[in-house]
Amino acid sequence: MNSAKQPRGSTGAGRRRPARPGGPLLWFLGRRLVAAALLCVGITLVAFVLTQLVPGDPAAANLGQRAIGDPEVVAAFRAKYGLDQPVPVQYLTYIGNVLQGNFGLSQQSHRPVAQDLAEYVPATIELALFAIVLSLLVGVALGVVAAVNRDRWPDQVLRVVSLGGVSMPTFWVALVAFYLLFFKFGLLPGGGRLDPGMSPPPYATGFYTLDAALAGQWDVLSSAAGHLVLPSLVLAVYTVGMLMRFTRASVLEILGNDYVRAARAKGLPERVVILRHVLRPAMVAIITVAGVAFGSLLSGAVLVENIFSWPGLGQYAYRSAVNLDLPGIMGVSIVVAAVYILINLLVDLLYGVIDPRIRLT
Amino acid sequence: MRIRSAGLLAALTLTSLLAACGGGGSTPSATGAPGGKTVVIDTAFQLKTTDPARMFEPTGLLIDRAIYDTLLTFNGSDVTKPVPALAESYTAAPDAKTFTFKLRADAKFSDGTPVTSADVVFSLNRVKNVKGNPSFLMDGLTVAAPDPATVVVTSEKPNTAVPFILPNPALGILNSAVAKKNGASDAEGADKADTAESFLNSQSLGSGPYILDSYSTTSQVVLTVNEKYWGEKPAYAKVVVRNVQANVQRLNVLKGESQIAVDLSPEQAKGLDQLQTVNGASPNVFFVFTNDNPEISKISSNPKFQEAVRYGIDYQSLVDLAGEGAVQAPGVVPSVFLGALPGSDGVVRDVAKAKAALAESGLQNPTVKLSYPSDVQVNGLNFGDLAARVQANLKEVGINVELAPASVQAALETYRGGTEEMGLWQWGPDFPDPSNYLNFLPGQLVGLRAGWAEGAAPALEELGTKASTTVDDAERAGLYVDIQHSMNEAGPIMPLIQPAQILVAAKSVQNVQSNALWLVNVRELG
Repeated sequence: MNSAKQPRGSTGAGRRRPARPGGPLLWFLGRRLVAAALLCVGITLVAFVLTQLVPGDPAAANLGQRAIGDPEVVAAFRAKYGLDQPVPVQYLTYIGNVLQGNFGLSQQSHRPVAQDLAEYVPATIELALFAIVLSLLVGVALGVVAAVNRDRWPDQVLRVVSLGGVSMPTFWVALVAFYLLFFKFGLLPGGGRLDPGMSPPPYATGFYTLDAALAGQWDVLSSAAGHLVLPSLVLAVYTVGMLMRFTRASVLEILGNDYVRAARAKGLPERVVILRHVLRPAMVAIITVAGVAFGSLLSGAVLVENIFSWPGLGQYAYRSAVNLDLPGIMGVSIVVAAVYILINLLVDLLYGVIDPRIRLT
Repeated sequence: MRIRSAGLLAALTLTSLLAACGGGGSTPSATGAPGGKTVVIDTAFQLKTTDPARMFEPTGLLIDRAIYDTLLTFNGSDVTKPVPALAESYTAAPDAKTFTFKLRADAKFSDGTPVTSADVVFSLNRVKNVKGNPSFLMDGLTVAAPDPATVVVTSEKPNTAVPFILPNPALGILNSAVAKKNGASDAEGADKADTAESFLNSQSLGSGPYILDSYSTTSQVVLTVNEKYWGEKPAYAKVVVRNVQANVQRLNVLKGESQIAVDLSPEQAKGLDQLQTVNGASPNVFFVFTNDNPEISKISSNPKFQEAVRYGIDYQSLVDLAGEGAVQAPGVVPSVFLGALPGSDGVVRDVAKAKAALAESGLQNPTVKLSYPSDVQVNGLNFGDLAARVQANLKEVGINVELAPASVQAALETYRGGTEEMGLWQWGPDFPDPSNYLNFLPGQLVGLRAGWAEGAAPALEELGTKASTTVDDAERAGLYVDIQHSMNEAGPIMPLIQPAQILVAAKSVQNVQSNALWLVNVRELG
């Protein structure tokens, strides 16, 4: 999000630039992708070194109290997971395998990490997408309302709401929401991605809602969508608060510009002024925050996933850490890093879409 | 202002979205599923695989018990008496080295093929040679099939525990022909050659009342009834085992979203009058040790210091802390096993005796470090809470205890290395026979972790050797009683408590029983 530059002194709607050739965009993308690949390698190195520094032995963490006392079993475990090799060899072997799409074998699930990630990453992305869409809808709308009604009662009320949203611990919100909306009033389904005993839709994307729709399984779609609501609402509480605050600040800043006054003086309807001349430039700041929020939703949903029995990346990361499952930890690190990088890239590209004055360098 | 209506519109959109998607979902009931009854069991998963040769975690035991038959088994919660399963009868040679099993003629796998002795030999040898977590169960045992209906298990040494080991679901019998086609091997080198685990996590090959329908280590495992099951049909057509944390389990079972909650603590299980509670002592034994190795600590290895610790601990306060259903562990053998001491034989706190012993030890205001895993619970009980109570107890007799919590991985390393000055741990049974607790004697697995070297207590070790080779159950029980009395007199290991093992279930579910090995008797639920 730091590679998009806005030309100095650009304030009003200036003269439209001539259409850019595709070259600079491709050059930009190419550079960013190379940097992303190097960053991912760097992250694997950091994750690998940190895991080696943690006191504890993966064999002790994964073998039972009797098995750990049997040298043959311990040797078989170490050989199976490559732990009998020198540490630098382990790392180089791992990187070599990753380049071929092999993320290793998880010690906690006894499956290829790639297979685990293919199951758990879509679960978390689906949840995070639902939460971020809710957050954008509600947070931006309420932020605009607060800005337009600056220092009047709607602004005061929404300020308390946004402050509450960013202040309340998410796990606490999760427990309260679960208790009230599921247990007490039965308004929403409880934990899991589907109703108990319901079979998942045939795997296509890993997003149950999408897969169920593709398969025409409408009961599964209804169940999957219903189960998304409560955890995504909980996750959205924080991001709504954050987006409201940023939207309000950004809109207020733009409302003070001369061109907004000029638009109003021209007699444009307030809706057009706000949506076209204020909200659009404000979106640059808003999508920056939304991008960061989406990344943190992906990597920080451990407690919410745990409370809602959501089989996602957070639970997988937690189990990997507890079991000192090195391939699992590395796989999660790479995925989270890659998602952050992609979001940054997407946000940078969106800058240009929202504000054509912004050049990609 | 129109922009206000934009906010209103967003709120309306959200509300309609909730209305469209919400509605509370469908709440399953023990009677409502199409095609038969469904029972939903909530437990915090400890699950890595359902492949019997690699499985030894609590959730895996619960699931595999429903899928795979074993030669012998236990009924309900009684783990003191192995009963026939695939073997309709068995005989044990007087030297406790040879056990001969006659197989049932009517037992069939889920594909309809009969269970033969070749399947038994293959399955048990596979457990041994895959060298996974449960392979120790086959230590010193060899299996042979003199004819299709007979299996002979031979032990290198007299081993009275064999009938208690064989009911373990890790020793479940697989359809060997199908297993081999899908990469299974029972030969030496199977640790590298056997590639059947992923297949066995997608499809079961057992002869039990259920088959594996779907499997996930983080969300749920679904079992459906085995239409070819040779025994009495189970009451439930579908069993859903879900991964749910304990406090949510409570809400789910109260709401009727699930029918059985496995991991509630005594506190969480209070006030659930509309449900049934099965409350018993867990076979897990919490204990403390003071390292007997002078090279580790001159303080903790002092016999009089050990005596002061033994009589300084307030066992009843630890039982109170653990909640309703917990009991003092009078010895290392849990109360539900053969050879357990009666509750009245437990050590009773005697502060004066503890202080006198400390004075005799010659130690002035000794300070010791108590290590324990701080990030795990057993039966809803925190090690940290127990450690703090022990610290307070011993402070009253003049012993300063420094608490040394660590992550379970870090703590396991020092515990297993025998380098902890004082440790607080628990032992869950590998199999429900008192011989499993010979591990606590000098020179054995747990004994060594407590720095208790071979030769440290010759009379006790002699008793242990005799107990391991004695065949008669009454005589064995007497020997284990003697062993535990001796350990309660002197030595570095002090058993503390057995926490409560609680199952909370809907009243509609009949015959819910807690089993020391597989937690819930899924196949016997009514």
